[in-house]
Amino acid sequence: MTAVLGPERLPRAATDRQISGPSTRAAIRPAVGILGALAVVGFFATLLSLAAFHSIVVSGQFEFDRLQGRLEDGHERAQVLRAEVARLESPSRILEVANGRLGMVSPPARVYLPSVPLNDGPTNLKAPEGDPFSGSTR
Amino acid sequence: MVGVLLAGIAGLFGWRLATLQLLDPDRFVAHGELQRIKTVPLQAARGAIVDRNGVDLALSVPRVSVWANPLQVEDPVRTARELSGILDADVSLLEQRLSKDSQFVWLGRQVSDETAEAVLRLGAVGVHFDEEQARVRPGGDSALAVLGRTDIDAKGISGMELVYDSLLSGTDGEKIVERGLRGVSIPGGEYSVEPATHGRTLVLTLDRALQFEAERLLIEGVKLADAKGGVLVAMDPATGQILASTTVRRDEDGLIRTSSEHRAVTWTYEPGSIIKPLTFSGVLSEAVAAPETVREVPGRLEVHDATFKDTPVHDPEELTVGDIVRRSSNVGTILWARDLGSEALHEEFREFGLGSVTDLDFPGEAQGILEPVGRWSGTSLPTVAIGQGVAVTPLQMLTAYAALANGGIRPAPTLVLGTRDDGGMFSPRRVRPSMTVVSAAVASEVVAMLERVVESGTGTKAQVAGYRVAGKTGTAWKPQSSGGYGSKGDRTYVASFAGFLPVEAPRLAVLVVVDEPAGHSYSGGRAAAPVFAEFARFAVRQLRIPSADERIGLEHAGRVMAMTPARHRILAEAAEAARLEAAGATIGG
Repeated sequence: MTAVLGPERLPRAATDRQISGPSTRAAIRPAVGILGALAVVGFFATLLSLAAFHSIVVSGQFEFDRLQGRLEDGHERAQVLRAEVARLESPSRILEVANGRLGMVSPPARVYLPSVPLNDGPTNLKAPEGDPFSGSTR
Repeated sequence: MVGVLLAGIAGLFGWRLATLQLLDPDRFVAHGELQRIKTVPLQAARGAIVDRNGVDLALSVPRVSVWANPLQVEDPVRTARELSGILDADVSLLEQRLSKDSQFVWLGRQVSDETAEAVLRLGAVGVHFDEEQARVRPGGDSALAVLGRTDIDAKGISGMELVYDSLLSGTDGEKIVERGLRGVSIPGGEYSVEPATHGRTLVLTLDRALQFEAERLLIEGVKLADAKGGVLVAMDPATGQILASTTVRRDEDGLIRTSSEHRAVTWTYEPGSIIKPLTFSGVLSEAVAAPETVREVPGRLEVHDATFKDTPVHDPEELTVGDIVRRSSNVGTILWARDLGSEALHEEFREFGLGSVTDLDFPGEAQGILEPVGRWSGTSLPTVAIGQGVAVTPLQMLTAYAALANGGIRPAPTLVLGTRDDGGMFSPRRVRPSMTVVSAAVASEVVAMLERVVESGTGTKAQVAGYRVAGKTGTAWKPQSSGGYGSKGDRTYVASFAGFLPVEAPRLAVLVVVDEPAGHSYSGGRAAAPVFAEFARFAVRQLRIPSADERIGLEHAGRVMAMTPARHRILAEAAEAARLEAAGATIGG
């Protein structure tokens, strides 16, 4: 009877054995814990940032709505004031106030003063030479 | 057991969740959007109407309107009673409205801020407020006939408000916005805006100061002449721009007020003697006579069954054409018109624009009456030649005079300079072409005759110190409702004066018509010419038209003139511009 030898089992590389060894796993565990904690902190920090950003956006939107409302109110106010200015400047209103509240009386005839005397020839009057007031003293 | 119960509840929730999210989600999404997404209408503001200097004549302002939901009103009788005092409305009417089986009734539209506050203080249940645009005219009824009116919904119903309604109205826009609680917009939500296109601002040719003065002086003139009413129109003869246009009427109480009817274009009347310059324009154009041609003119003339007379009746006299115009001789005019002929006279009047609308684009413009020659009777030629048997609008007559002032070129009258958009960009109105109706030489001859009318003829009361004025008076018989013109005792008149100044370079043409003057001042020379003169004195200052003497001042810069610093600066700048232009011309030549 011939004995047959089974295949010889080759030993694993020493380095492999070192990595998967129980001492290595113990070394990794705190690192994973820190990473996990950091991830959780990061997650909540992101959530907090988003909330803060959302809060800024909401307050910005609120401010935008408020300013738009003010703008519309301003336009309306400007239009009302424009009408009021036109009313105050209207000749009929000025005449009404003059005749009524101020007790003024319209003249029977209106006299217009001409800017030059009528039929005044171009050579009748001469412009003064130089500054006529230069020699005056107080 | 508890586990089964919890599982059942969880199943119910799961089923509901599946129903909401998977089986019929659209309905709920739509319901949510309906609650959050609002469409806000953006009302287009109606454009303002301003005068040639940008002064507001009509504009829209926000006003509060009060409405109610009768289904929410608990006690209609009490609410109506409380509101009637504040809104100045009839109690029974308010009660009737508040008792309606409806969700909306108006209680007061476009009320004042004080009224709105008083209603708000009342705190009535079911009463609400809304904002609307109200149309206001800061100058009151001044220029009302031209501006026209809008209805309560700001739609133009008359005048320029009606003609340019589409331009003034603009187009409404809308804003779609997603809103949360208390109406605050949801950031990042639905938001889109289709902005409203506001109405354009309409820039008129009117001048507010001239318009006001025209109204004031015409009311005074009508009062002095004890007349029924009057019309005054002022125009720049070179451009046809109407600077002022007013109508006044005496009401039943005897008070004379500005009318809301723009009679300058809607009213036709027989013009009388102010048509004579047009007749002689034809006579001169056809070379039938020259201004100095002399002919014997009797005091009265028989034509068919009618007798035409001069006032006062005179013995036969040798009169030049110029004399005939200066003295407004009916007989002399008829004699020359007969030489001219019916066809030529009719054609001349047509050329001046009588018998056809003026293209002013004003609602209700009348075209007047100028019968075709084929329908003329034996007395039509002499009658039409002196301004009877023909009907014109005041604007037609003024445009004809503007043509004479403008060297024979008839301008297209207009009330609109252009429009201005929201950003202030001005778009001028398309200028209608002018039309040459007589040669410049003939126009100049007629103008010279008209100047003599004002110097020493029937129109001396139209003189304006410092300015050369040309014009013509008219005292027309008014047709009676029973037919004919009535007899001497019950005859009524239309007195008028049409003229322009300064003759050497006309910048202002004015027509004054006084309807049915009474007493001794019924003639055009007494009732209308003084109004013309007063208005012209004011207008030349408002329009900065220098007198002949002031123009000498422009040419002699060193000359002493009494004037304001502002006016001195204007004149100095004008003199400098003239000097530079002259220097350029010398170099170029």
